[in-house]
Amino acid sequence: MKTNILNTNAYTIKQLPNAIAFVDRNLKLNCASDEWAAFFNLDYHMAIGKQLFDVIDESNYSWREPLVSTLEGNTECFLQTTLTGNGIEKWFELSTKPWYNEEENIIGAIIQVEDVSNRVLMDLKFQKLENLLRDQSEISKVGTWEYDLDSERIEWSAMTKKIHEVPHDFQPSIDKAINFYKQGHDRNTISMLVHNCIEKGETWNTKLKIVTAKANERWVLAAGKPFYKDGKISRLIGTFQDITEDVEAENKIIENEKLLRTLIDNIPLNIFIKDKDSKKVLVNKAECDYLGVSNPQEIIGKTDYDLYDKDVADISRHEDVHVMKTQKPILKKRTINVKKDGSSTSFLTSKIPFVNADGRSKGVIGISMDISDVIQKEDQLRNLINVTAIQNKKLINFAHIVSHNLRSHTANFSMLLDFLVNEKEASERKRIMDMLLHASDNLMDTLENLNEVVDISTDVNLEKKSLNLNENITKVQQNLSAFLHQNNVQINNNIADTVNVKAVPAYMESIILNLVTNAVKYRHPDRNPSIVLSAKKKEDITIFCIQDNGLGIDLDKYGQKLFGMYKTFHNNKDARGIGLYIVKNQIEAMGGNITVKSEVEKGSTFSVYFNDKD
Amino acid sequence: MTKINSIYVIDDDAITLFGVKKILAKTIDCDSVSEFHNGQTALNALIHAMENGFEVPDLIFLDINMPIMDGWEFLEEFLRLPIDKKIIINILTSSIDPSDLRRWHYYKDRTDHLVIFKNKPIFSIDLCDILRTHMAS
Repeated sequence: MKTNILNTNAYTIKQLPNAIAFVDRNLKLNCASDEWAAFFNLDYHMAIGKQLFDVIDESNYSWREPLVSTLEGNTECFLQTTLTGNGIEKWFELSTKPWYNEEENIIGAIIQVEDVSNRVLMDLKFQKLENLLRDQSEISKVGTWEYDLDSERIEWSAMTKKIHEVPHDFQPSIDKAINFYKQGHDRNTISMLVHNCIEKGETWNTKLKIVTAKANERWVLAAGKPFYKDGKISRLIGTFQDITEDVEAENKIIENEKLLRTLIDNIPLNIFIKDKDSKKVLVNKAECDYLGVSNPQEIIGKTDYDLYDKDVADISRHEDVHVMKTQKPILKKRTINVKKDGSSTSFLTSKIPFVNADGRSKGVIGISMDISDVIQKEDQLRNLINVTAIQNKKLINFAHIVSHNLRSHTANFSMLLDFLVNEKEASERKRIMDMLLHASDNLMDTLENLNEVVDISTDVNLEKKSLNLNENITKVQQNLSAFLHQNNVQINNNIADTVNVKAVPAYMESIILNLVTNAVKYRHPDRNPSIVLSAKKKEDITIFCIQDNGLGIDLDKYGQKLFGMYKTFHNNKDARGIGLYIVKNQIEAMGGNITVKSEVEKGSTFSVYFNDKD
Repeated sequence: MTKINSIYVIDDDAITLFGVKKILAKTIDCDSVSEFHNGQTALNALIHAMENGFEVPDLIFLDINMPIMDGWEFLEEFLRLPIDKKIIINILTSSIDPSDLRRWHYYKDRTDHLVIFKNKPIFSIDLCDILRTHMAS
């Protein structure tokens, strides 16, 4: 009966799908499943009833110890490996359990083996993958996290913990995790993002700042997304990346760019960069101001042809091409830019080749300095030098005139006195005495003339006043009334009563007096003197013209000497050669000028240019 | 007394004219002393003399600063005239301007006539020896 049951059992066991075997206390193989026999490559019938270690090589399968332990009532389970016949490593799990009879006595051991090669290989693979992932996250500094909504448990990967600077055994919670974000904007943002993800399933990927456990501020790229189970969000998963270095590098670049921009915008030079086609790719504030725009975008992409006069643009384009071709800079070249509206500005321009990393020209960097002011100053200076040179020349000329004129009188005195000393005859002595008196009068006249000239030359700060031209003409006419009447002079005054000029009153009178007197003095013998007065305004200048019908002057012959001192051109005994010299000095002292047109036998026209500026 | 046929005195200053004539009267025996108040009248007279076969002067006293035509302009015109006779031109001026001296050198070297430069005042004419040797050559 017992055997029967066992036999029946044995046959049942034989059919079990697991690899299982029963041994008695003497380790004799009582029964086994076919699977078990197959596992060890045994003939079922041959094996049953044999000593276990007679059919299984103990050196390969060190089972004795666990079996002994099992027979004492313990359960054992361990992993073993063996090489199969064709050399493949095989993993199996061995579990042994005591075999009890109905009286709960241990009558043997149950041995079960399970092929776990696949599982072990999977485990290894998984471990490898895990290692790989860890390495990867180590390198890219990308950590991961997972938040289970039901359990409210949050898991951080090692890297995530490292970024937070917390120990390995740190157990985060959702609140703790959120509190790592910097208070204010960053913490509010992450709270909202997490909330939106849970409620609406929205993903996020945002740059934020955290404060680590060690109180260091770090930039992180936090990303998260919902994980659905049965159509409901069950978990949030995401990555967590330390991007502090990137952000700092980026900030540094932005900062440098800002610095550069601030620099080029505040430097008092026009700076621009042009591409190969001379299109502007960068302009600074000074350049924008010069071109009259507030936004650089209005100029970017434009060429000089869009901004300047064609001639100017041609020259500029030529320079650009030259610089790009030769890669040699043009330095401090004087240029004149004429804008579309016709306004021109003088610049000191440098153009420097803008070179690629591979050494090829990709454009031109330009720096221009507005030197209009400097040039204006230069012009003023040059004018001043010219005026000074003219003054100097005048002075030397004057010195010669003085020395010559004084000398001629003294020479006469010497000669006459020499005659007088040696002259015995009374009548001749009387004649010489008369001549001495005459010489003395001449000397007095000369000295007076010289005084008059010196007065003009020294009165550099005479104040100009606004004077009515006609009032002054009338005054001169009254003073000369006898003289004019005597010579039957006709004066036609075409000047409007409103014409005012800026002049020194004394000079004004002297100029009109001299010119009117001259017009009469050098009258034509065949006709009565006729004088036409006129005036016209031209910007800051008033031109006063006095036209006569007198003798006229051969300007080809005398033009250069006309306004010189002691130059006379007619056989006129009243001619002193001083009037026009004084007139010219007076008008020039007032910043004006005098010119003459004349035709012999027809008459002359003198034009006086009054400078109406102070 | 040296004998000279014709003398021109060109000066706009009456006193100088008087002085030169007075000195000439004492030192040179001359039939004709003509006076002119500027270069133009002197030049006209000279051309008139040449055209009509009258005698041209042997000696000319020439002032520089004169109206209408000054001494240099006269000299410029005079040196162009086809005169075979060697004439003495005595520039008589109160100018001490170096540029006048330079111009004298310029004209002096351009002509066979004898051009002399003298500063005023003059007290006597000490030309006699020069005059003799010059005219003899």
